[in-house]
Amino acid sequence: MSDVMSFTFSDTIAGTVSRHDPVGRAFGLVTADGREFEISLAGDPSAELLRNLQEPYVDASGHIDDMLEAGRFLFVYGVFYPEGSPPRFEAKRLIFMDGKAAEFRFEEKNWWVDQLEKIAGFYRQAQFGEGPVDFAGYRTEIRLGGEKTTSHVQETDTISRLVYGMASAFLLTGDETYLEVAEQGTEYLREHMRFVDHDEDVIYWYHGLSVNGDTEKKLFTSEFGDDYHAIPMYEQIYALAGPVQTYRITGDPRIRRDADATVRLFDRFFLDREQGGYFSHVDPILMSPDHESLGENRERKNWNSVGDHAPAYLINLYLATGDRRYADMLEYTFDTIVERFPDDTHSPFVQERFHRDWSHDTTHGWQQNRAVVGHNLKIAWNLMRMHTLRPKDSYLGLATAIGDTMPAVGSDRQRGGWYDVVERVKDAGQEAHHFAWHDRKAWWQQEQAILAYLILHGLTGREDFLRDARRAEAFYNAFFLDHDEGAVYFNVLASGLPYLLGTERLKGSHSMSMYHSAELCYLGAVYNNLLISGRPMDFWFKPHPDGFPGRVLRVAPDLLPAGRVRITEVEIDGSPHDDYDAQALTVRLPETPRQVKVRVRLTPEQAS
Amino acid sequence: MSSFEMSLGRVGDATTAILVGEIDSGSAHQLFAVLVPGGQMLIDLSSVSYVSSSGLRALLLLHRQAREQDTRMAITGVADEVRFVMAATGFLDFFEIAEGVHR
Repeated sequence: MSDVMSFTFSDTIAGTVSRHDPVGRAFGLVTADGREFEISLAGDPSAELLRNLQEPYVDASGHIDDMLEAGRFLFVYGVFYPEGSPPRFEAKRLIFMDGKAAEFRFEEKNWWVDQLEKIAGFYRQAQFGEGPVDFAGYRTEIRLGGEKTTSHVQETDTISRLVYGMASAFLLTGDETYLEVAEQGTEYLREHMRFVDHDEDVIYWYHGLSVNGDTEKKLFTSEFGDDYHAIPMYEQIYALAGPVQTYRITGDPRIRRDADATVRLFDRFFLDREQGGYFSHVDPILMSPDHESLGENRERKNWNSVGDHAPAYLINLYLATGDRRYADMLEYTFDTIVERFPDDTHSPFVQERFHRDWSHDTTHGWQQNRAVVGHNLKIAWNLMRMHTLRPKDSYLGLATAIGDTMPAVGSDRQRGGWYDVVERVKDAGQEAHHFAWHDRKAWWQQEQAILAYLILHGLTGREDFLRDARRAEAFYNAFFLDHDEGAVYFNVLASGLPYLLGTERLKGSHSMSMYHSAELCYLGAVYNNLLISGRPMDFWFKPHPDGFPGRVLRVAPDLLPAGRVRITEVEIDGSPHDDYDAQALTVRLPETPRQVKVRVRLTPEQAS
Repeated sequence: MSSFEMSLGRVGDATTAILVGEIDSGSAHQLFAVLVPGGQMLIDLSSVSYVSSSGLRALLLLHRQAREQDTRMAITGVADEVRFVMAATGFLDFFEIAEGVHR
């Protein structure tokens, strides 16, 4: 085998301009890990400015020499030629983040809000067309351009995730088109997917429905290979994501009752009262975690069953209610994470799967002894949120340790972006953690990186965390936005080109359906504007008259440090309203017989 | 301990399963013994006095398993009380309800 590169190949380099030689038609670009590449402009590259979803292409090809200022971050796609050592690299495409060298378009005040509105418009059109919202016509499986397939399946989780996205779009825009989808979707879940178990006084949620004309068949247990013939905690958790985000807006007491009954399900059947944590699966008849029918899911705990409560519904339920019980449950899940998940002696990545006694499960299904990079980042992000609610050194310590460690082992220091699943342990002679299947990058893992590093910077002030946040935001916005068909891609190749084969062409699947892309937009806007840039934001609500207890609307957009933002303006149905507590972030609603529309302006302390 | 018994028979081309007693967490798993791959299956619940939520879930899984095995499954003799519980939980919609077993 040759030890010399003797072929051409194309690739992306992400980096910061170190020098520029207009006469020699070349510039230097330094990667995240400090390696410098000589980039030739002799191949006549095109250049463009980063654009938001469905914005027109902005050509910058005529301004390349003016824009290659030292310190500017950009992506360069080009061709390596085996001509000399190191090989020659000729640029073919440059992507600049902004017209100004030190700025990033994704830090514009409305960048994430606008992006969310476009995504919401895509899914509204794909599922319901121009007509009225009717979830009987909803389908989980939609193609790249939003067209439905021959599948008749409606999965509970995908409806819930769509509802989450639509509720988030209303929270940021006040556009009732999206709230209508969220409320009707919540109602549909309640009518068609909910099982009220009167014997046990709990609720659980069907996996989904198969709809054919006027007949529907309920799919009781999971249809997914990992969880087949079982009730996975993961699905029950995500069934709540959309309704609870809607509850923040409307205070519909039926949603609260459903959420509480589902939490009772977790307490009664998934909680391990002896050894702590939550089991990942129960059998569908006895609801037991140790029934033999569960096979390799018998008596198991994992990241999803312990850690997904917080981001999917529990933080939002706490934000909407201020109820101490939810804060206690949050604290319990995070205490479990900091106690059980770190595994520094074996791997920089957390351990994600466990037996009942918390011994490590390194042989399960596809996971084996592998790390999902995004789960590590998700832990860091959510620990920082929890550290605001109930500060603990252990939360801050683990979050910052993950933040410090991950870029070198989980991100692509050459091209930007974050990897998917890697081996937790390197074998002898390996320089990097090897990939489980491929070196592609999934959209939701970029989201975890962006939110983790934004909040790490926002709460610690560390500039290196801001650099990592910006690099992650840059990669996501440069390569995941589908300007042709709408919404975002599932996966891209390491270089950033979209990967559009098989199920990864689809845009409605159980993970895709508007949850992560909307969560990113919602919290990307909140963290960038309120935590980092000091810019006010408006939020919209539409409470039911019999909704929030005591008619107290809680408007905190996330778990933010006390005093970091305050209410500076409230309108109800377009008229000023001054019955609010600016510091506590609560609004006292008037007594009315109908839903009212509330706009609340939140202003960061540094913006005054 | 709840009492539960079942007996299998045939009526024409269909296999019949007559269930007697209470279907609850103690007996739910026994239901799966009735399933015969292919053909038609009639579950007679006329002597069933109580179905708990775990019993309902077992019936539902039985239905799913029947579908996977190309067995056409129907239930019959659903007492009013059991019918009420099945209707309230949405379970009744799953099943084909037959008129009765002609012995």
